[in-house]
Amino acid sequence: MAQNVTNVSHTEEVSSTRRVIAASSVGTLIEWYDFYIFGTLAKIISEQFFPKDNPTAALLATLATFAAGFVIRPFGALFFGRLGDLIGRKYTFLVTLVIMGGSTFAIGLVPGYKTIGFFAPAIVFILRLLQGLALGGEYGGAATYVAEHSPEGKRGFWTSFIQTTATLGLFLALGVILTVRQMLGVETFTDWGWRIPFILSALLVGVSIFIRMRMSESPLFAKMKKEGKTSANPLAESFKQKDNLKMVLIALLGATAGQGVVWYTGQFYALSFLQNACNIEFVQSNIIISIALLIGTPFFIVFGALSDKIGRKYIMMAGMLIAVIAYRPIYTIMYNDANLKTKEVIEDKTVNKMKYEVKGTDSLITSVTTKLYTDGTSFKETVKHKFPVDPALKAALPKDKLKPETKKEVTLPQALYYKMIGLVLIQVIFVTMVYGPIAAFLVEIFPTRIRYTSMSLPYHIGNGVFGGLVPLISTRLVEATRPAADLPPADPLAGLWYPILIAGVSFVIGSLYISNKTNNLDVE
Amino acid sequence: MSAIKRIFGLLWTIMGVGIIPLVIMQAMKEIAAKPSEENWIFWSIVIVVLMPIIAFSLITFGIFALKGEYDVIA
Repeated sequence: MAQNVTNVSHTEEVSSTRRVIAASSVGTLIEWYDFYIFGTLAKIISEQFFPKDNPTAALLATLATFAAGFVIRPFGALFFGRLGDLIGRKYTFLVTLVIMGGSTFAIGLVPGYKTIGFFAPAIVFILRLLQGLALGGEYGGAATYVAEHSPEGKRGFWTSFIQTTATLGLFLALGVILTVRQMLGVETFTDWGWRIPFILSALLVGVSIFIRMRMSESPLFAKMKKEGKTSANPLAESFKQKDNLKMVLIALLGATAGQGVVWYTGQFYALSFLQNACNIEFVQSNIIISIALLIGTPFFIVFGALSDKIGRKYIMMAGMLIAVIAYRPIYTIMYNDANLKTKEVIEDKTVNKMKYEVKGTDSLITSVTTKLYTDGTSFKETVKHKFPVDPALKAALPKDKLKPETKKEVTLPQALYYKMIGLVLIQVIFVTMVYGPIAAFLVEIFPTRIRYTSMSLPYHIGNGVFGGLVPLISTRLVEATRPAADLPPADPLAGLWYPILIAGVSFVIGSLYISNKTNNLDVE
Repeated sequence: MSAIKRIFGLLWTIMGVGIIPLVIMQAMKEIAAKPSEENWIFWSIVIVVLMPIIAFSLITFGIFALKGEYDVIA
């Protein structure tokens, strides 16, 4: 009889665990989905709402990209973190979900610049800021909520499911976009079909809200509230009290800053490097990243669970150190494998095609050269030269307007393609090492009464600011090595110095000042 | 270990202070050489967003470490 009661109780516990993880993870995944579709459809959104010939709209486009990515997220962390420590985790991360879903849905309905003029970019800009604000509040809530439900000794494993959502959200976004585009065709998708992934968000969020509404408040927060031990001013307690500020700084400098750059390098910079430095063809480069992410995603859970056994610090620091040491060798191999200068071309397989056409008042000369190399690599270069048919108009145009548009595409043979997947996968493993245990680490170093506020800020500064700036700063570092505007950069790997430096400093600080001890969560 | 933590504290403080003139001088140099919109946006982001975070956090962290606040970490 006693055995039956124990079994029933265990079954209920497992079922409850699954519900908590599912409710939290699905919501967070949808928030990432909402956040990513804007970024993935940035080009179309820019054409619809932010015309380049309007300087104010163009400025808003830049601000929308950067501000929502890293300026607003820490504010969201502060605003919703405070709310979560005052009124509870459940209702706060329900609110962030509603704001995120509502903003995303609304972006899908905003008429374009051609219809309502300047109001279009202004409205989209505000909605994008709301997205950033909501994202800033979501992660801390979900991580705290799951952690506060977790049994001791399993917190790393439980919270690691939240850690997978950022990657799965990207998958979902790419999947929905590619499916809709495939179903409607490129032209219809560019015209209005791009709105569907945004509008679809309302449905996803609706389901997630329904699931979350049925969840109960975090047991630790509920107990603390019942005992009247909640913080009256979480912001002041988090950042004005020395003991807590000390931990916020350690979390930022010793963990999330390094984690943020390793995450962005493995998940986003790798793709940009494949496409821009290696000129790998668009579909092939996306598939390389997708497969590496898909294979690598379960490792978030592996390292989250492992951190319960050997400690969070050792895994995170190992991830940072190996990344710092390995980045340049990995990227050197990636670059060399796609470098056509090291390959032998098969001369009789080279094909040149040229086409001349008149489009309206413009002439368009398209020249396509395809080459095949002995190792099976193929190369395609498309040069488009557009100029007015009228010679007088052509002569009046500045030189930079007449510059031909060149597109280079390298398609790797199967062996190199698999090798490239392996090289990206290694970077994804670094990501899972630093990111898998971090939610558990963050929740454990802050007290329950101010946990939501205290952990959200370093997380979003680390990821949003330090990580979010990887593309911008890395591109800049590469450009700085370019001897002249029309010459290739002298060091295409120079962009790696930024993540290497930040992760290196983070590793030293984390190794010296972070404890590997796993702390219990309490209500004191 | 505590002594190493404190010595490094001095290093973090110096790094935090040093980064301010370094970034500002680099920004002025690059903008003067090429005052494009792209340059302005890049350096504005670095100076307004990234630099204050790095400088403030490194200086405060360094001072705490120097004072021995991190000698024992829970």
